[in-house]
Amino acid sequence: MVELTSTGSYETGKGTGAQPSARPFWRLGYHTRVSLWGFAFVLPTLIFFAVFKYGPMLWAIELSFNSYDMVSAPQFVGLDNYRTLLSDPIFRETLVNTLAYIAGSTFLVTVSGLGLALAINTGIPGARHCMTAMFLTNLMPIIAVCLVWRLLLHPYGVVNQILQPFGFGRIDWLTNYATAMPAIIMVTVWRFAPYFMVVFLAALLALPGDYYEAAELDGAGPIRRFFYITLPLLMPTIFFVVVVSALLCARIFLMPYLITGGGPGNATRVLSMLIYETGFSYLKMGQAAAISVVLFAIMLVFTTLQMRLFSRSERIYV
Amino acid sequence: MASLDINTPRPVTLRHYWPGLRKTIGLVLLAALAFGFIIPILWMSVMSFQTGEKMFQLRTEWIPTVWHFENYPNALSRAPFAQYFLNSGIVSLSVTVGNVVFCTLAGYGLAKFRFPGSGLVLLLILSTLMLPLEVTLVPTFLVIHKFDWMNTYQGIVSPLLIDAFGVFLMRQSMISIPKDYIEAARIDGAGELRILLQIIVPQCLPALSVLAIFSFRDSWDQYLWPLTVVSIDSLRTFPLGLVQFGEDYGNPPTEQMVIAVLATLPVFLLFAILQRSINRGFGLSGLK
Repeated sequence: MVELTSTGSYETGKGTGAQPSARPFWRLGYHTRVSLWGFAFVLPTLIFFAVFKYGPMLWAIELSFNSYDMVSAPQFVGLDNYRTLLSDPIFRETLVNTLAYIAGSTFLVTVSGLGLALAINTGIPGARHCMTAMFLTNLMPIIAVCLVWRLLLHPYGVVNQILQPFGFGRIDWLTNYATAMPAIIMVTVWRFAPYFMVVFLAALLALPGDYYEAAELDGAGPIRRFFYITLPLLMPTIFFVVVVSALLCARIFLMPYLITGGGPGNATRVLSMLIYETGFSYLKMGQAAAISVVLFAIMLVFTTLQMRLFSRSERIYV
Repeated sequence: MASLDINTPRPVTLRHYWPGLRKTIGLVLLAALAFGFIIPILWMSVMSFQTGEKMFQLRTEWIPTVWHFENYPNALSRAPFAQYFLNSGIVSLSVTVGNVVFCTLAGYGLAKFRFPGSGLVLLLILSTLMLPLEVTLVPTFLVIHKFDWMNTYQGIVSPLLIDAFGVFLMRQSMISIPKDYIEAARIDGAGELRILLQIIVPQCLPALSVLAIFSFRDSWDQYLWPLTVVSIDSLRTFPLGLVQFGEDYGNPPTEQMVIAVLATLPVFLLFAILQRSINRGFGLSGLK
């Protein structure tokens, strides 16, 4: 109790006895001390990010104006790296692939995540266990996912065996120009939809039940209830899932790298693969940095959206 | 319908059974869906007990006629997988501990303190979500190269040590804890670290579980970064070893599945241990 008087921020005695004594200037006030603690808690993370995130990104921007092969000193080349990129058909194809992949995966992951969440949320007994089983796909190491799916998508693989009764022929998923990217997107949906199912499910469980009771009393069927209550209330979550899954998909590397190796041709090559190959196979660090800047720009768009959203949303899952 | 006499027995019709029937049908459909999702996991497990030629048959043999348990010791003896798993274990445990510690600290600092520039700090941390390792790969490699950390554990671990996702997860889980608890503890003379450990952390164990399982998963199977900084065999993590194993001529693909199964087990195990807490962390405690 008495200690508080020395902070200078709390009036305790109301002028009767204990006057707050003037503190020496090196003793910090209560509020200053508390905020310093707050800053101290954040500081390790800030330093870490300065060394491993902001620093490297600034370096990447600088490198993108240089030619650098790790052997000789970097050489300033101006916008040459970007010019080379623009005229490079492989880069353009890769950029289109990445955007197509982001769009396709994000759409399907969001729709199927929501569908799965609605299915789980029907109150069917045992739905919980089904949810847990599906969520396992999200916990399997990505390396195992890639190795297994590469074999499942084999012409004689399980995917074709399952599709055969439905009148599909033997599809060469991974060696066919038209099916390679859809196959990768299929694996992505399998991997990420259960995760977003959980996010949607949490949002569904948090919806106020009385809206539904009122709507049911007014005679609204399940379809109407979905379109007029659930969907509008879920809009922030849907928007959130779209942004987060776009961010996840923009950085995809291992799936195309291991399942198709970027092929056939360049059909499944994405920007992160191109960064790795340009930087470490061809040792064109400056060129690779320029691709990094492009990928960064794509992610910047989605992150800006996410920040807008973040200021409104209560919970955040990434 | 005409009679309201409750003593008249109502005719037993399909309608009578409908609610129960609907639930059963729903459960069957849902179980089929869930089963469809885990087919790849089942296939992986079954194939780890098969011989190689069974993998590419026209009809998959789902129940092996002969169980080849010897695949397991064989796979482990063909390459130093024990070493690879140990390396992965060291990396993922360090990363998980790092994330749990630093994300808790930073999350607390951002959730419960106001200091000049705290809004900016939040924005700065959030912005690193657009700087994943895939984007900053080349310069991060050069940073590690500058530190002379190539082919070291600290080289593999350090860029993964803190993830902005974890900071947010912790911040969001702490933000709703009433400030009165903290003030009361301060008045009682508790230090700031003690307040964090004894009052805040016990209240956000679910979020910590979510953070732990995700940082463990993401570092356990990290491929791209070790591929970039590790060039000696003794430091390889199991994903690198596994891919190399598949590329080396003559290694049966079934034994690749063995390693994949062994790699999947620790994550599933951790999930099983933390499951209750994880469900609460996701906000699913209301689920039936």
